Formats: sequence, structure tokens, C-alpha cells
Amino acid sequence: MHGFSPKQQLDLITSLELESQALSSSDRRQFLKNAMLMLGAGTTLISPSVGLANSVSKQPSSNLPPNIPEWSKKLGTGVLTEPYGKPSSFEKNVVRDTVDWLTQDRISSVSMTPLHKLKGIITPNGLVFERHHAGVPIINPDQHRLIIHGLVENPLVFSLEELQRFPSVSEIKFLECPANGGMEWKAPQMSGLQFTHGMLSCCEWTGVKLSTLLAEVGVKPEAKWVLAEGADGAAMTRSIPLDKALDDTIIVYAQNGEALRPEQGYPIRLLNPGWEGNTSIKWLRRLKLGKQPWQHREETSKYTDLLPDGKARQFSFVQECNSVITSPCPEKPFQQKGWYEIEGLAWSGKGKIKGVDVSIDGGINWRPVALKGLVLSKCLTRFGFMFHWQGEPLLLQSRAYDETGYVQPTFKQLREVRGGNSIYHKNAIHTWQVHQDGSVQNVQLT
Amino acid sequence: MYNSLKWLMPILVVSLSACSETGDSALKNSNKESKSTAKSLDDSTTLFAIGTEATKELINGWDIDIAIDGSGLPEGSGSVVEGEQLYDNLCAACHGTFGEGEEQWPKLTGGENSLTDQRPLKTIGSYWPYSTTLWDYINRAMPFPAPQSLEVNQVYAITAYVLNMNDIVSDEFILTNQNLASIKMPNAQGFYLDDRPDTSNQRCMKDCKPPESIVVKSGPTYVSTTQGSPSHSELSNTVSSNGQTIYLSGCNLCHDNGLMQAPKIATPSDWVERQQASKDTIYQNAINGLGNMPAKGGRNDLSNNSIKQAVDYMLETLE
Repeated sequence: MHGFSPKQQLDLITSLELESQALSSSDRRQFLKNAMLMLGAGTTLISPSVGLANSVSKQPSSNLPPNIPEWSKKLGTGVLTEPYGKPSSFEKNVVRDTVDWLTQDRISSVSMTPLHKLKGIITPNGLVFERHHAGVPIINPDQHRLIIHGLVENPLVFSLEELQRFPSVSEIKFLECPANGGMEWKAPQMSGLQFTHGMLSCCEWTGVKLSTLLAEVGVKPEAKWVLAEGADGAAMTRSIPLDKALDDTIIVYAQNGEALRPEQGYPIRLLNPGWEGNTSIKWLRRLKLGKQPWQHREETSKYTDLLPDGKARQFSFVQECNSVITSPCPEKPFQQKGWYEIEGLAWSGKGKIKGVDVSIDGGINWRPVALKGLVLSKCLTRFGFMFHWQGEPLLLQSRAYDETGYVQPTFKQLREVRGGNSIYHKNAIHTWQVHQDGSVQNVQLT
Repeated sequence: MYNSLKWLMPILVVSLSACSETGDSALKNSNKESKSTAKSLDDSTTLFAIGTEATKELINGWDIDIAIDGSGLPEGSGSVVEGEQLYDNLCAACHGTFGEGEEQWPKLTGGENSLTDQRPLKTIGSYWPYSTTLWDYINRAMPFPAPQSLEVNQVYAITAYVLNMNDIVSDEFILTNQNLASIKMPNAQGFYLDDRPDTSNQRCMKDCKPPESIVVKSGPTYVSTTQGSPSHSELSNTVSSNGQTIYLSGCNLCHDNGLMQAPKIATPSDWVERQQASKDTIYQNAINGLGNMPAKGGRNDLSNNSIKQAVDYMLETLE
């Protein structure tokens, strides 16, 4: 491996090792052998101090039973090798991704969560989708404040330390950009699940309820709306009805047990459970109580749904009931015939998921499937069932319904009322076409 | 801190041996100690007196929002003429000299009566319902690389010019904090409040539609970039022979909306000159590149045949 640094060698070998995992053991042995020969490995050029490189060069298949694996015969690294731990190097491809042509640049842009790689309902903090309008500001929490003013009795200013003295709540809630899947309104445009549904994440959010703070400042009776404003370069604003603010809105300072990540609004953000993610203002600096909505750019020019009659629906806050099959999916095809667990996620901004039906024939026949694990309000809910795939083509669909009785619509139903230009709030039943070779394609049924 | 920890150590050791007992008594103790405030824990009207007074001075520095009645606007003014110069220097690089928008940066003008079109153009003139929004947004977020850097009168001037570009105010207009809120926008009546749910699907379980009614509209096949296993890529490399599928796997990026001056799909006027050449020339241009378009539009993984099929599909949309 002339010309490669030890780090590059390790990266190459790690990726070879990853790529070989799908092969049978004899194929895999040959694959790696050939690859290593090609790269000139197995010579003294590979630094013996690079543990993995060393073990791979000695034929990794010798790690399989009945042999005793390399890692069983030596010591590993000590504690604090990684003071802040990170995933195994074999998981390095589990990352957020973007579609560059969606936006002009990456400062005002979006990245998507790799839903096909996730288990359970919690999104790890480093994989929560991002949406910024002026990049991620770096905020010193000691120099950040939240001001609450406007139609209140006692306008107050809070530091992070002060906010953390209030009674806290921890709630597991999904967060979804209303533009999730917006590229699919006219035709199936995206190649994989990460891009059709990945502006969606779910965390345990910890903070103080906004109602607690509003009691502290004393809301005047004429106040009906709250303007929330961020401290980023977009100074992002949204008008929130007071009813929501007093119901379940949270001023969040932690996600999944640790401080908010910078890209999620560090040190504090708003969270409006079940509502379009854009209203959950990040880097929150100011809340102002007023009589009517402010009609700012992100609630008029953007985040409004243009309908076929040329009129636009406004303040369409709720993310209606939605679901998608996450396994198989284009990024996760069937590798062979046999038994698989078909899995997916369902969610509703109006409450709990009541149930999910699945079809394998494009919606001609449906069967109810089991909800798995926690079923919480305004939270991702996992469903799954065992399926014996015998190489036949499938048109896989899931259809969720929530506790209000609302049933996820078909694309046809959605387009009939909304046309193809509303961008936001696409929650149609999604179809994956499974081909005979096991590959999976994003399709729509007309 | 250190002292109190040392003091706690023996208690922790004891509690390990008599966990539940110690735990119970600790709970009782804490109840007793906090009796005076225990009631207030369940009382949502209780005030905690945390936080400090937000004085007028503190608030004024951050209180930048403008309401639809114009409240919040600072005293000031700016003319269309002044705005034109500022716009050319600060805004035109992204938004275009006439507000037409460079590349994918937002278009500020045009799109009148286009909201019911196949491809509506939502601009300040054709879509924005309130004039106050424009002042508020320019002031808080523009210019993009230098937000909150404009002087008050500059914001008035640029707002005036952008309104003028959209034929909403005259060339001689001078915008002030007094007249801004009274300016009526063309699409002021174009919005209504959320009235969903607007669909009512039912949970049909059997024979919900005739099998022959199903027509599959294919999207792009998944091609791994940095991710996925080799077997996965092998599966996905079976590129469909369908011209539309190929088109949607990359050509659409530019040819859907004319990015980089690309001729738009289903827009015959964009193709007049090109169609004077032979079909073979069009094929070769697509394969070898032309103008801003790189060879095969940058999709060197596609065969010449696939490119031809994509071209065929695009030409079909002109008919």
C-alpha cells in the first residue's frame, strides 16, 4: 500500500471489511485476499501498531468459529481512549446525508436522518436531521438569554442556569420538517428512504414547560399569540397560538440525556410536539406575547400550502398521521430469499398511533400488524411482522391510523384535494416496489 | 463541596446494606422538611421568582419584530431611488438585477397570476400577503452573509425598491414608518386558516381495488454513493430502460426548472433552436456536453444509450 498513510490504510481496510460482510465466508475470504493482494497488503508496509489492519491482513475469516478470534487473544484499549464515545468504526457510514440540488448552498439547507439504519424509536443525537436557515451559530450559554415580554405583567429575562432551576419535564416526541417528502408531490423523485422520509427524528427532550414560564411572567388576558425568535443569523420567527403554548410546548435544553446539540438549538430551543418542525424555534432568545400573528416570512412566503385554486392554507401546524416501511427499503434490499422482519415507523401529530395495516400487493388487500415497544403520543411508533420472501415482486405499503380515527391517505386522495404544488405536509401512503432480485425502488401508484 | 462528599460516604455505605429501609426514611425526612412548600409543588399557579426583570433597555435591543399594523417600525424613510443603488450592491448578486433570482436563490419578482399554474412562481409580488413582512425580513435576515447589518433607512430604501420592482409602488415613492403598513399587497386575500383534515381514507382490508387499476410510476433506482454493501450496488445498477426513470435520476435537477440555463422539460419555447438540429446532434450534445452542461450532465455512470433514452423522454414532453 505504497503512498497510503496508516490512517488511510486503516480506512481502506475497514471499508473492505465492511463490504465483505455481505458475502458468504468462502467468498469473503477470497474477496479480501484478492483485495489485499491488489493493495499490496500483507507486507511490512502496514504498521503493526494498527490493530485492525494487522488482524485483517492475517485473514479475518480466521476469526470465525471454530477459530479463536484475534480480539479474544489480546487486550483492547483502556477507558478514556474516547472520553466522549462514538460508534464502532464499522458503523462509519451511518450518517446524515443531503440532496445538494435541493438548496443553493449548505448554509441554508437540510440534512436527513438515515432511518434505514436506526432501531427502536430514539434517534441518536448525532443523526437527528438538520434544517437551518443561516447555518449553526456557536453560542456561549453564559452569554445567551431568553427574554419573555410583550403583553405580560412582568417581563423577565432568563439565563440557562435559571431555566434549569424550574421543574423539568422529559418527553419523547418526534420532530419532523413539514417539507419531509415534499419532493415527491409530483412524482417519485428520491432514490431512497433517507431522502423520502429522513427529515424526521425522535428524541427524549428535557426542559421546562412554556406554561410554567408564562405563569411566571403573567400573561395579560388580551394576549392570544406568542412570537418565538431565534438568535441565529436568520433570527427565525414563528407565531404560536397561546393555546398551544399553554398546552404542551417545552423550552428544551437537553435531548436524549445530554445538552442540546448545536445544530438542534444549543443552548435552548422551543419544542411544539406534533407540529411542523419549523415552529420549534432553535437557539431561542425571545418570546413576545401579542394579540395576533405577526405574519412573518416563515409563515407566509414559506410554510404555507398552495392549493389548486391558487389559495394557500396557512398556519397548518399539525403533522398528520404518517408511516413508512423502513426495512426493506431501497437502501436495505432483500439479500436472499427467506424470512425477514418487515419493519416500519408510524407517527401522528395529533396523538397516539392506534394501528398500522400493511399491504404487499399495492393496496388491494391489507392486514393489521403489531405495534412494537412504546406507543406514545406524538412519538415515533415502530411496527413489524415476519414475512417469508420467496423471490416474488411486491408492492409494499403501510397505512397508519391514529387515536382520532384519522387514516393516512393515499397519494391519489391527497392530490385530489391539494394538487401537486403544496410542498409541505405530504403524508401519503408510501410504496416500495420489491423486484425479483430483491432490490427495492421508490414508486408511486396512479 | 469536597467536605460534604466526604461526609456522605459512610451514609452511602450503610444504605447499600439496608437499601429500602434507608430509602424510606429518607423519603419521610424530605417530606417533613419540605412540608411548608410541598403543597406548592402541585400548584401550577405557584411562582418560583426565578429570572430577572427584563428592563425596557434590555428588551429594546432585541425587540425587532414588525407587526402587520406597522407597530415595531422605527422612525425612518427610504426612497425607491436610494433603494436601487443599495439593491444593486447588496442584493442583486443573489436575487438578480431584476429580482429574477440567480441560480436557486429566491426570485423576488414575476409570477403574477401563476398560482394556479402547473409550475407557480411564488414571489413578493405574486404571493406575499403583507408589506410589513418584507421590512421585517430584510431587517432581521438580509443580506444573507451579513444579517442585522443594515441601517434603518437602508431597510426602508431596499424595501421600497423591491416593492417598486414588483410594480406595487411608483418610481418616486418614499417609504416611511407611517405609510408601510397601509401598502396593500396583490395576494393579500390569498390565504386561509388550516382547515384540515381534508382527506377521509377508510380502512378497507380486502379487495379494495381491482388489480388491473394499479399503474406503477417508477422513481430513480438507488445508487450507493458512499454507503451500502457491494451486493447492494450490484442490485441497483440494473438501471431501468425507462427514459423517464433515467431523467428523474439526475437530468431533472436542471431541466425541471431551467437551472444553469438548461432548456426546461415540457417547455417547447426553450427547445426551438435545439430542435432545428438533427436528433443525432441533440444526442451527441447531451453525451458530450454543451454550454453549462457537462458531458452526460455529469452522470458518467450512464451509458450513451441511457442518455439517448432520457433525451427521447424530454423531447416527448414537448409534443
